[in-house]
Amino acid sequence: MEWLTEFPSMDKESLRALKKAIDGGFREFTRGYGESVELLFDPIKYFLIQSEHFLTNTPWPIIMGLICLISWIASRNFKIVIGTLITMVLIGYFNMWNDTMKTVSMTFVCTMLSVSMGIPIGIIMSRYNRLQRVITPILDVMQTMPSFVYLIPVVMLLGIGKVPGMLAVVIYAIPPIIRLTNLGIRLVDRDVLEAADAYGSSAWQRLRNVQIPLALPTIMAGINQTIMMALSMVVVASMIGVQGLGQPVLKAIANQYFTLGVFNGLAIVGIAIIFDRVSQAFGRRLQKHQEIVHGN
Amino acid sequence: MNWQSAEVLAHIDHIILSEGYGCDAQLIPGDTMPTFTSMNEKAQPDVAPELWVNSLQEPLDIAVAEGRLVIAAESLSEGGVEGWWIPQYLADAHPEIKTIEDALAHPELFPAPEDDSKGAVHNCPSGWNCQISTENLFKAFKAEDKGFVLVDTGSAAGLDGSIAKAYERKEGWLGYYWAPTSILGKYVMFKLDEGVEHDKEHWEKCTGTIDCEDPKPNAWGASKVFTVVTSQFVEKASVAMDYIKHRQWNNSTVNKLLAWMSDNQATGEEGAEFFLENNLDIWREWVSEEAAQNIKKSLNITG
Repeated sequence: MEWLTEFPSMDKESLRALKKAIDGGFREFTRGYGESVELLFDPIKYFLIQSEHFLTNTPWPIIMGLICLISWIASRNFKIVIGTLITMVLIGYFNMWNDTMKTVSMTFVCTMLSVSMGIPIGIIMSRYNRLQRVITPILDVMQTMPSFVYLIPVVMLLGIGKVPGMLAVVIYAIPPIIRLTNLGIRLVDRDVLEAADAYGSSAWQRLRNVQIPLALPTIMAGINQTIMMALSMVVVASMIGVQGLGQPVLKAIANQYFTLGVFNGLAIVGIAIIFDRVSQAFGRRLQKHQEIVHGN
Repeated sequence: MNWQSAEVLAHIDHIILSEGYGCDAQLIPGDTMPTFTSMNEKAQPDVAPELWVNSLQEPLDIAVAEGRLVIAAESLSEGGVEGWWIPQYLADAHPEIKTIEDALAHPELFPAPEDDSKGAVHNCPSGWNCQISTENLFKAFKAEDKGFVLVDTGSAAGLDGSIAKAYERKEGWLGYYWAPTSILGKYVMFKLDEGVEHDKEHWEKCTGTIDCEDPKPNAWGASKVFTVVTSQFVEKASVAMDYIKHRQWNNSTVNKLLAWMSDNQATGEEGAEFFLENNLDIWREWVSEEAAQNIKKSLNITG
């Protein structure tokens, strides 16, 4: 009756052989194609390096002015600009400017990539139910798979540094924007769509002028989640050699430097809030515009 | 402990203590600092089978002096080996590279991941003590003037991955590593000579500290690797203590065992069983005759 108490599992030898075969296969792949895969990511690497160079090598007052200007243009809200300014001053004062700039650069590029890929995917996904059934489990895997599981093969393929770090961040940060874009568009009232059809709008017009504006609050929530998740991955990304605020956090964890950890953690929180408030204010302004156009 | 040599040793302890001495032993995974802190503050867990004490010499000395922790034994008889390594194939192709100075003369052999025009020295994981010493030695050997950058690897997984990547593609690699480890069992590496003797005084004053103003070239000394137990454990488990005091192995045994584990994708437990089955002569000396019989019986070893 042993099979009742002990699950009848694959015997040790064949399990080991299976694991070895898969590992060996992957190793062959890295040997054969590693370099070409790496070349594929070269433009992104160049972009990541340039963006970091720009943020770290430009004198800080210019960067600070630029960030405040962007937050003003996007939000037109003095409170947000002043909040941004205070956060940046505090970060600089506590000697975290350089690390913060590296993190901002990384997060900015990753968020841009996630949003620019995620929204189109979400839109397509909202159109085809079958596609939704395929993509949803993939998104589940992306969000729950412990990142180190796929980071090991990624590091073997691409080495350590910015590109594998970016992959880790994007894989983790892109699902919310896809999900919420899909959801937002699907939640648009059927009657409104019928009305749009009745006025003879093309599919593109219907999407651009009806579905996206009405789904915008949900999409903005998705962007918010994407930003937050990108920043929360900073520490994990730093475990494969991405520079920035994650490195001192790791140092703090390893040595139990409580204060160092909290300072850098708060800096991550600070930039997350700036990113979020600015993008949300921008989203709200966007919605106001649309309402005026619609004459409400 | 969450690195391979410590993991397998913990499993060996687990088997020996539970099968040989009938103790109710439990394994608790943990990194060096959390484990040490928890043992120091909470007296939990009881035993750290393989503690690399270089990084926590001071707090350990205090804990021992105040009677909270006891150093039971030197678990690695030769101590750990640290240093800067290059892959063996590179050392074979360039036999003139023997020392760190030699390697630093060739930045073109060790291209940096984000800037091909520079050479890379792969740093020790963030927050480990070796990060400080590697940084200081990087300065001391004037590596930056020689066209090198220090690459932060972030974690042990990142460091291992960078070695594996270089090795699979037969690329150049230069950086910090330590033995005994499965990586060095699996990927044969050549340890560069520092070209100077280990200067303990300068190491403690400067090379090993964060605010070292003017680091001089220095060599790694052998790292002391201890088994540390809580003082409560000494009181309540004197039989087990006898075993732990005698348990000691050397680097080549460990490297061989770890390489076997990597080749066979073995877990720490399987590695421990493999070791106990095949190295009777080594571990028999650690345990009492009675315990040895019990263990042999439980693992079906004859002899």
